[in-house]
Amino acid sequence: MAGEQLPGPTAATILGLTPATLLHEDGEAKRMTLEEQIKQVGIRAGARVVGVASAAAFRETVPEGYRPEDVLPGARTVVVAGGDGPTAGAWRCPDHRVMEITGYDLRENVAVHVMSDYIERELGHYAIQAPSLSVHGHQPPMSMMHAAELAGLGTRSLAAHIILNPEYGLLYYAALITTLELAPDPPLTEPACPHPGCAAMYKRIGTTPCLRVCPACLAGGVKDARIEWSTYDRERCHSRAQTYGIGSFQKALLEIVNEDDADKRRTMIYSDFFAKSIQALGFYRDSIAQCFECMRVCPVGRKYRKLK
Amino acid sequence: MSDAFPPDATRRLKTTALKAGAVVCGVADAAAFDKHAPQGHRPDDLLPGARSVVVVGGAQPRAGDWLATSPWVLQTMGTTDRIQSVGRKLAQYIESEFGYYGLYVPPGSAAGDTPFISFALAAELAGLGSRSLAGPILSREHGFLYWSIVITTAPFDVDPPEAEPACPAPPCREMWEREGTTPCLKICPASNGGCLEGRLENGRAVRTFYDAARCNTRVHTHWIGGFQKVLDETLNEPDKEKRKMLLYGDFFTRTLWAITYSSTNIAQCFECMRVCPAAHGLKEMK
Repeated sequence: MAGEQLPGPTAATILGLTPATLLHEDGEAKRMTLEEQIKQVGIRAGARVVGVASAAAFRETVPEGYRPEDVLPGARTVVVAGGDGPTAGAWRCPDHRVMEITGYDLRENVAVHVMSDYIERELGHYAIQAPSLSVHGHQPPMSMMHAAELAGLGTRSLAAHIILNPEYGLLYYAALITTLELAPDPPLTEPACPHPGCAAMYKRIGTTPCLRVCPACLAGGVKDARIEWSTYDRERCHSRAQTYGIGSFQKALLEIVNEDDADKRRTMIYSDFFAKSIQALGFYRDSIAQCFECMRVCPVGRKYRKLK
Repeated sequence: MSDAFPPDATRRLKTTALKAGAVVCGVADAAAFDKHAPQGHRPDDLLPGARSVVVVGGAQPRAGDWLATSPWVLQTMGTTDRIQSVGRKLAQYIESEFGYYGLYVPPGSAAGDTPFISFALAAELAGLGSRSLAGPILSREHGFLYWSIVITTAPFDVDPPEAEPACPAPPCREMWEREGTTPCLKICPASNGGCLEGRLENGRAVRTFYDAARCNTRVHTHWIGGFQKVLDETLNEPDKEKRKMLLYGDFFTRTLWAITYSSTNIAQCFECMRVCPAAHGLKEMK
């Protein structure tokens, strides 16, 4: 076939997902809208929820340099995928060390890549994964939390401002930026936090489950069943949530380098803490977080954690 | 979701596991661990009310990898990560499909080198293989596999342990009769700087000695231990130039690669498995 190249298969086409095959299953062989197609591709690739935000919506609240069009010129839309964290079984485990290194699928990232391929190959528009890892301090080039809010997937909570999905509670978010114009989902009108139970608890005793379990990191107030104010000590929370990781490696290494006694140094180098910190660098996917206490007591999405 | 446990649940679970990339999938009775595992390392200790343990095996080196003449192939092409993805997926599948708790057991250690639960024991109890003289669990059909496990409150149908072990393989029995050793014992004898000692007794393998610490330093040459060792040596080295050589040396560089690309640097010694006639599966390649 001279002068012509056949595109290779994408994850979506391997799953049999093309605009022609993505049909409504209500008996009527009607093609899905673009928004429905992309969401279906994301869900089939492992996302729990998918939402759409307009790139323009970021302009109102996000400083220049951190908006979708700063990453992809001509960006029109941001598609956000939310993926599951620990299973209900992991939440139930009495050994805290399991949750500390339990592995995640991080399927939201896979879903974002499969949707991006679908948009580029099948729909002919640019699509890239939105960069979400910190590049300066704790600062990512683009906020996944904000993207999830704008895409109508959740709202900020009293618990370290973690975005809670009203149905599933804690999810992990990834996003893609595309030049494809899609109809955005509206942000949620009813916040997921405070849960009615928490609002009632606050009225009764002036606190909520998350504020009570972690007064060291969290503070906030509830008025008329809405968050009135909230703040959290990010540095403290970070050092607890990520006990094993880059930060612990740096901390231990500095102490090791500063230790003059060779025997003490050796003990520190071969200690469980340092070994686990190195392990966390390698198996980063297994060491996402080591503290989940504010989420453990959160009732939002708890119905999915109560099984047989 | 009906309260009754679907009669075809185990079949559906196994089909899902195989479709997700497992080579084998078996189920062990959670209570069966009580006889063999110390308290704290039993399924019920990690998931209250545990009834079954689902074990998947696969992601083993391919026949071509075993055949590769360069030792660097196996040293840098680990694949175990893929079987862990299957385990994670099954835990979610059990919860969303059947409504029972599913706990994916992390392959990392609880403390030191101690795992949360023995994956080898789980594979044995799930009828997927049996212990070899060299140590790893061998499946009769597929040989050496990597394992991932999910503890669940779901009452899946339990598989019986394997009746006939893969080890010793018939050629090893013949070799034992002839020379008083087996391929694995010969390649890594504890009496001569190796890790293994054992014998065949009534056609069964009996392992009499295993130097775990020595084996660990050989299997994980470029890994956390390697990093710790070079760091220790570097900080003890007063000569600035020598320190620089240590840090830019091939050994430390490979160690950093191993940590960064953790899923492709699973192990650096496979010799006992390389020579094992039962480790590479029954299927002959052309």
